[in-house]
Amino acid sequence: MSGAITWLGEWLFWPPFFQLVIAPGLVAALVIVIFILWFERKAAARVQMRVGPYNVSPRLGGALQLIADLVRYSFQEFIMPFTVDRAAFVAAPLLLLLASMLPMAVIPVSPVLPYSYAWPNIMKYNLLLALALATLSPIFTVVAGWASNNKFSLIGAARESFMVTAYELIFVLALLSTAAPVHSYDLVKIVEAQSTWKLMALLNPPAFLAAFIATLLSTSGFPFEIPESEHEVVAGPFTEYSGLMYGVEMGAAYIKRYAMSVLMALAFFSGWKPLDPQPGAGVWSGYVAPLVVVLVKATIIMAVMSFLRAVYGRYRLDQALHLAWKILLPLALLGYAIGLVYGYLGVL
Amino acid sequence: MAAGELKLSGWEVGEVRRLPGMDVKKIGKDLYEIFIGPQHPGSGHMRIIVRLDGDVMVEVDPDLGYVHRTMEKLAEGRSYIKVIPLMERMAILDACNITLPYVEAVEKLLGLEPPERARYLRVLLCEINRIASHLYGMGIFGVFLGHSTMYMWPFGDREVFVELAERLTGARLTHTYAIPGGVRRDVPEGFTDDLRKAIRYMRKRLEDYRKIFLDNPVIRARLEDVGVISRNLAIELGIVGPNLRASGVEYDVRLVEPYEAYDELDFEIPVFEEGDALARTWVRVEEIKQSLRILEQVADKLDKMPREGVMHDKFWAKAPKLYKDVYAKEGRVKLMPLFATLRVPKGKAFARAEAGRGEIVYYVESDGGMTPYRVRVVSPSFRNAIVFKYIAPGHRLMDLPAIYGSIDYFPPEADR
Repeated sequence: MSGAITWLGEWLFWPPFFQLVIAPGLVAALVIVIFILWFERKAAARVQMRVGPYNVSPRLGGALQLIADLVRYSFQEFIMPFTVDRAAFVAAPLLLLLASMLPMAVIPVSPVLPYSYAWPNIMKYNLLLALALATLSPIFTVVAGWASNNKFSLIGAARESFMVTAYELIFVLALLSTAAPVHSYDLVKIVEAQSTWKLMALLNPPAFLAAFIATLLSTSGFPFEIPESEHEVVAGPFTEYSGLMYGVEMGAAYIKRYAMSVLMALAFFSGWKPLDPQPGAGVWSGYVAPLVVVLVKATIIMAVMSFLRAVYGRYRLDQALHLAWKILLPLALLGYAIGLVYGYLGVL
Repeated sequence: MAAGELKLSGWEVGEVRRLPGMDVKKIGKDLYEIFIGPQHPGSGHMRIIVRLDGDVMVEVDPDLGYVHRTMEKLAEGRSYIKVIPLMERMAILDACNITLPYVEAVEKLLGLEPPERARYLRVLLCEINRIASHLYGMGIFGVFLGHSTMYMWPFGDREVFVELAERLTGARLTHTYAIPGGVRRDVPEGFTDDLRKAIRYMRKRLEDYRKIFLDNPVIRARLEDVGVISRNLAIELGIVGPNLRASGVEYDVRLVEPYEAYDELDFEIPVFEEGDALARTWVRVEEIKQSLRILEQVADKLDKMPREGVMHDKFWAKAPKLYKDVYAKEGRVKLMPLFATLRVPKGKAFARAEAGRGEIVYYVESDGGMTPYRVRVVSPSFRNAIVFKYIAPGHRLMDLPAIYGSIDYFPPEADR
């Protein structure tokens, strides 16, 4: 019996599984996304002279409303129109969710791994790998739009593909500019080079700004909620979806935003600092506490993004692309140049 | 059945071929036709047929009539007083403005002039309605551009004026306030003080709107030089209301043919030259400011006036004593029974007014009976609908909500 529990514990806390499925992966992502959705609705309601979610759990400020919504989505009928491409139609949202989550598998949340049976080492190229995995998911949005066989979906998918080409380069460049000063693609090194107040975001503001806006572009955050722009293309690529699948697709954008926020929290906001776990630390001080610090930082970044909903409308597609290619890309290149200068001078 | 069984070879333009679940018609080379509405979050009770070349609209066809209720025909079977609540259904949020010309036309047939206090009370509700109507339009416009705060703020602030209208008339939306010979009741106690408070509040809020919406860089980028209606085109298409005034034409029925108490009040007609979506939004904001100015004057005037005369003496003389006592004490009047059997002398009358969305025209013909022989309405939204066809082509698809919202088109008003 105890052997089984030990085996289960070992398996559960095996980092590749734990990182992807529990924290910072799926479970933590769901909790944080639900919190962020609640925060988004409450903050917007506050600005807009409303109460926001309230009735489901008045004492918690309506926090359980999001759980109720989740339950409703889960039990709603999933309608499959008979003109859709069935396999792709069903697979797209699930793969979208999975691909949005994938960067979590390689993002380190602590400099030390307190398990003897863990991966031998944290991967050296984890920043590159995380960026590569983060660029996977948009293809499934396009697949969802194409498989739906609906005009609005198709237009939404075309818009999504425009947006992808616009933001990807910016995001990758902006994050790589944090790798240059430390001569390493390892997020652990990047975090260790920063201190509590010597943040990469303050040392290299153009890169951070570019990464921040690129995240908004990629996850349909305001003012760039363009592929799903309700008043022309209904729900964009997700028009034909209903029930749980629709919930999954809507959640996937937030989970992607979460993954990118975690990356930014590490690369620009000194990750687990002020904590400084030493090799040989236990599970709590060596893994869980740094993880919580990273998640809190990521949540704050997401909350700022969510608040923009109350301030901005949405840009037109061509204006967003103009902003991306003509303003943000030079900004990201400038950030990269600054990073190279830091690397050459050895500032960090 | 799989989806991709459409044979593309030898397909002529206009030819219909079958797909599982749909018929497919080729409309032209590289064209894409989408139907925005009537079941669409961005359409309202109408359909806009858009043909796209890539992201650019090449042809836009507004398809009206989804909420046509045969109001003109229904009016022929109702007594004169009952036509008012019927016609209000065109634009319930603009109820006084939208029915006022009908009441005026019937008054012309009856040969009545409402007493002075009644005329001011009508102006009072008309301007309250105009503000509420503009706020409604701006709220819808805000959400069309994805600006949820601009959706909630005007809708919340509109509540102030809806509440005022409710205190004045007893109904939030369909007031049936102006009736032949006068108005239905007088202002309640303390109304003008609350009105002044509302005016102060609204002036402050308009400044907030400017900060978050009209001067918001994202919104300005969306609205500037979008959907430009030139002065000539505006006149040629015969559009009315704020849309016309945003194109540099100074035309307002309150100005060119003053009715009720408008010739005794001091106000301006805001006119903008640009003719784009931003100018149309600004016109509405400026009009709200002018309406607030009018309301201030009306409040002062009502305070100075003796509290009597909401109904023409010809009718008031026939009112039972109880009615007069209640009016003297509480300012309320029940609808007098004589309206149930009101006979209107034979004749034809025409009247117009400036509603929130533009000029509304009524033609009433009486054969001397208890019901109108003919009621003809031309509503402002109907005259504005044609704009879609002429100004939307050439813009991108994402400009369609910006154009739609800036025109403040209201399908139930157009369809009657």
